[in-house]
Amino acid sequence: MSFRKRNIGLSLGVDRAAIPTASEKPAPESPGIRPSPDDGRPTTSTGTPSLDGLLAGHAGLPMGKTLLVEENGTTDFAGALLRYYAAEGVVQEHKVHVVGVPEQWGRSLPGLIGTAESVEGKRSDKRKDERMKIAWRYERLGEFGAGVAGSRNVPAAGNQDPAAPQAPAFCHAFDLTKRLAHPSITNMSFVPLAPSKESPFISVLNRLQTEIASSASHTIHRIVIPSLLNPTMYPPDTCQPEHLLQFLHSLKALMNAYTTRVTTMITLPLALFPRSSGLVRWMELLSDGVIELCPFPHSADALTTSGAATSQEEPPQGMLKVHRLPVLHERGGGSDQNLGQDWAFILSRRRFEIKPFSLPPAEGDTEAQDASAPSGMPKKSDLEF
Amino acid sequence: MPSQPALPPLLAPYLSSLPHTSLTLVSSILGATSNWLVLRFLHAALSTSSNQHAASELEDVRTDEKRKVVFVSFMRSFEFWKSEAKRLGLDLARLADKEQFAFIDGLSDLFYTPQVSSSSASAASPAGRGNSTPRTTLPLRSQPGPLPGRSLQSPAIASGGSGLAPRSQTELGVAKKLHFSGRGTAALDALESDIVSVMQQLKPSAEDGDELLLIVDQPDLLLATTGPSLGIGATEMAEWVAGLQQHAHATILTMAADSPLIHNVSVSRAGGHMPAPIETEHAGFAIGLAHRARSVMQLRTLETGVARDVSGVLRISAGGGWIAGKDENPEKEVLYYIQRDGGVRVFGRGES
Amino acid sequence: MAQINLAHRRTHNLLLISKLLSLRDTASPLTLLLDSLQQPATPLIREYIRRAKLSKVHVTLVAFETLKQPDGVDAFVSARRKSPADLVREVGAAQQLAGSNSSRRRLILIDSINPLLNSKRLEPGFHLPSFLSLFLASPSASATAQLDTSLVVTYHQDSRGPFPQHPYSPSPLSLLTYMATSIITLHSFSHILAQKAARDRSVAEPVFGLDEEQDGVLLGRPDNTVEGIVLELEHRRKSGRGVLEWYLLPPTSRYSPQQVKEVVTLLDDNVLYNPPVQQDSAAGDEEPESTFELRLTERQRRDREGVVLPYFDAQQGNGPGEGGRILYDMGEEDDFDEEEDEI
Repeated sequence: MSFRKRNIGLSLGVDRAAIPTASEKPAPESPGIRPSPDDGRPTTSTGTPSLDGLLAGHAGLPMGKTLLVEENGTTDFAGALLRYYAAEGVVQEHKVHVVGVPEQWGRSLPGLIGTAESVEGKRSDKRKDERMKIAWRYERLGEFGAGVAGSRNVPAAGNQDPAAPQAPAFCHAFDLTKRLAHPSITNMSFVPLAPSKESPFISVLNRLQTEIASSASHTIHRIVIPSLLNPTMYPPDTCQPEHLLQFLHSLKALMNAYTTRVTTMITLPLALFPRSSGLVRWMELLSDGVIELCPFPHSADALTTSGAATSQEEPPQGMLKVHRLPVLHERGGGSDQNLGQDWAFILSRRRFEIKPFSLPPAEGDTEAQDASAPSGMPKKSDLEF
Repeated sequence: MPSQPALPPLLAPYLSSLPHTSLTLVSSILGATSNWLVLRFLHAALSTSSNQHAASELEDVRTDEKRKVVFVSFMRSFEFWKSEAKRLGLDLARLADKEQFAFIDGLSDLFYTPQVSSSSASAASPAGRGNSTPRTTLPLRSQPGPLPGRSLQSPAIASGGSGLAPRSQTELGVAKKLHFSGRGTAALDALESDIVSVMQQLKPSAEDGDELLLIVDQPDLLLATTGPSLGIGATEMAEWVAGLQQHAHATILTMAADSPLIHNVSVSRAGGHMPAPIETEHAGFAIGLAHRARSVMQLRTLETGVARDVSGVLRISAGGGWIAGKDENPEKEVLYYIQRDGGVRVFGRGES
Repeated sequence: MAQINLAHRRTHNLLLISKLLSLRDTASPLTLLLDSLQQPATPLIREYIRRAKLSKVHVTLVAFETLKQPDGVDAFVSARRKSPADLVREVGAAQQLAGSNSSRRRLILIDSINPLLNSKRLEPGFHLPSFLSLFLASPSASATAQLDTSLVVTYHQDSRGPFPQHPYSPSPLSLLTYMATSIITLHSFSHILAQKAARDRSVAEPVFGLDEEQDGVLLGRPDNTVEGIVLELEHRRKSGRGVLEWYLLPPTSRYSPQQVKEVVTLLDDNVLYNPPVQQDSAAGDEEPESTFELRLTERQRRDREGVVLPYFDAQQGNGPGEGGRILYDMGEEDDFDEEEDEI
């Protein structure tokens, strides 16, 4: 129950985050914003450290960009990613706009454990014996090389000493089984879809536009669109291209107008809107980043047991495909080191982890699996040349 | 990595010297976008004149023919193009001042004008389209004066005092913002007259022999976001393009050629369901333009997966408008790699 | 027999294509060109215009796609934003203008019918057959009823339009193919060769361009090796008989624009498509095919033919036991062994 303890430290973290706005610190150090190690553009965290690391070396979602998370099947892993994203925004005191869902959605945000670094640090402590230590300062930063570079601008946090003055945390860790309690959670705004003769999205755009335009110029906004086009929330005519794509285009325009202050994350159920359709392709073309989740069909029982911390690797719950990355593909696309990888994702109570996918040993061959556990199967990427 | 020349030598002949009334189609897909190639076209057309003080002594052969570019972008902001062009040594804002370049913003206000009272305005315009033509409403929106969104924000900038709101910068160098209103060909005509007016503005100052290049970035967005229910289909879009072409020396279009948008036209391919209008119209538009284009530059990712040092494949083919015997066969297939610094390396298969 | 057939086909079918392309005798009032991105009809349209110029035919181009007037076109009618009725009127006016001075033969080219068929502004009452026949029916009927008008319509096969509003009426393409007196389907020669090579080796035929169904591919992979266009002609004679033939139109660089002699050949006559059968005896070059010399010299063959085989002798009926001997004249190279061999 170590996270309990950290939960106490939570209020401290919040105060830390609030410091820059309260005191007379210069505004560029907005909470939750840090320059990209790749080209220095401001980025913000998605609330999931390993997703941050996937984003083409920027170690975060660049401001002014849209991330589209698609999910096959009827599971809601994308929803978890979205909740982390929203919760991160709440904790960083960003203005979080949630489109199309009732306010209950806001109450289901995961509870804060601490900064991602502290949790990662704990994890690596646990793994210390297994891993080769390269340099002390890399260890906190998780598995991603991109994340390593990203730490340049963040002074060493030193979580063991909460009294020391600290830089604001970039990313936090959350617990899906807990509920987020944070003073600024009431600050979230829920933008309903208003039925209209024209596009039902017009009112959404109006609201987003006014709220962003009227906010203080250092306020950071997050636009959260859960399960876009889901027929239980969206009227049937919303999937008309002239409504939907015009909305996404206008949203893109809005983000470009406030390019350093807004990010958006959208989830889309592929079971209803398959990737092979032209409409979905246009939604992807209008997004800066596109990620597809393909959950394994048999992962239901693994989900329930994975909460228990085991020393063994947790079995992945699905595959993750990267179709487009912000900034990188805008420039022409290409050959990010993360792009060709096969990724797997694991959702446990406390984290959504994305890591390279390795083929599991043949089923039923548990003995061999146990025997070879330390070395493991050669990863697919190792075999490729 | 060594820095690359702004124009890859293998591509240079395809990027410059576009014949009169020619149409070049650049097709892209989700994982292989065309922005880098568009920038190379811009560079090929504008660089000699923009770098006059730097490099013209060496190649003053080309400085006598000045080229001008009108650039319409539906998917990206001027901010993006400006910063990316800067990496190639092109100062688009300065070129715009010198009236060699004009940017037409098809992103910001195309469907939604960010102003507080815009809901009533946009609600009123389609209803009243019978008596008020779009042409009368358009100049109002595209006036270069202070925009409502900006004026709303400027006090915020003053009070906040931070550098986080760069919106004031973006308006510079944008010749016009397009706004779509109404439906059918009337709406397209309004957009066309907006673009043509900018092209005409550049033209009078042009001496003889000047070439006006028109680049339209993703006009297919216009088709996707309107579609047959607004009375716009492949034919109307193609006619719209033809109308613009008539005012330009050469035209370059970029367009998405993703499988779902091109191959879903037959029922069997679309997974059993009827192909959607967005798919058939897009396919009709793209293929129809390829029939008219002199050359088609197709970008795609490697079919064998992702390689470390290859971003994608560029296939250059002769389109239906290519005239045999008049110029040499343009067909070629090369690989390209976009470096972190924005430089592009272009090479044949098997080379490096 | 096959040789005679081919020669017969050659004379007849070359005459036919010559007549069709040069618009002689109004052999085909409505010609449909079916093209695709793999082989656009532009070169063939230019060939039509070239021949029309040679024989002083008045050419009208109804331009749905073409932006500027090509050389050799007498009247250029831009179809942009025009209704079908307007088009017919404009073409009629252009014809009238030329009516007095030029020859009585007319060629009307429609560079692509697809934009018209896919147009959203097309009124529901639009009827393709009557639209096309309006061009053929001479507008200046009063002046000279002698006008020979040929209509050549291009249809892009790969540019499939939206689904028809009348689900029970035939699609525009089947209508066009039904109405046309000749249909020319265009293929790229290099693709035809590649497909034939695959067929000859009994492997799956390769597909090109859109048929590859690959992300981001509109046109086939570049191939600069062979040029030329294969024309697959289906012609309906007035008698009702149909003719099917494959032709090859060489690239324009191979002949002068003024050339009157027929440039089109039969595809079967092309050496690349139909390589001549190897005649092994005629080939004089004697390359060793194995380490043994298996072939006979001329003299050896003569000697072998001279050998009278035993059954010849036996058939002469000299009684049983008499025949069956090998009659052989020994040569100098024969090593005769008195004890073992006997004659």
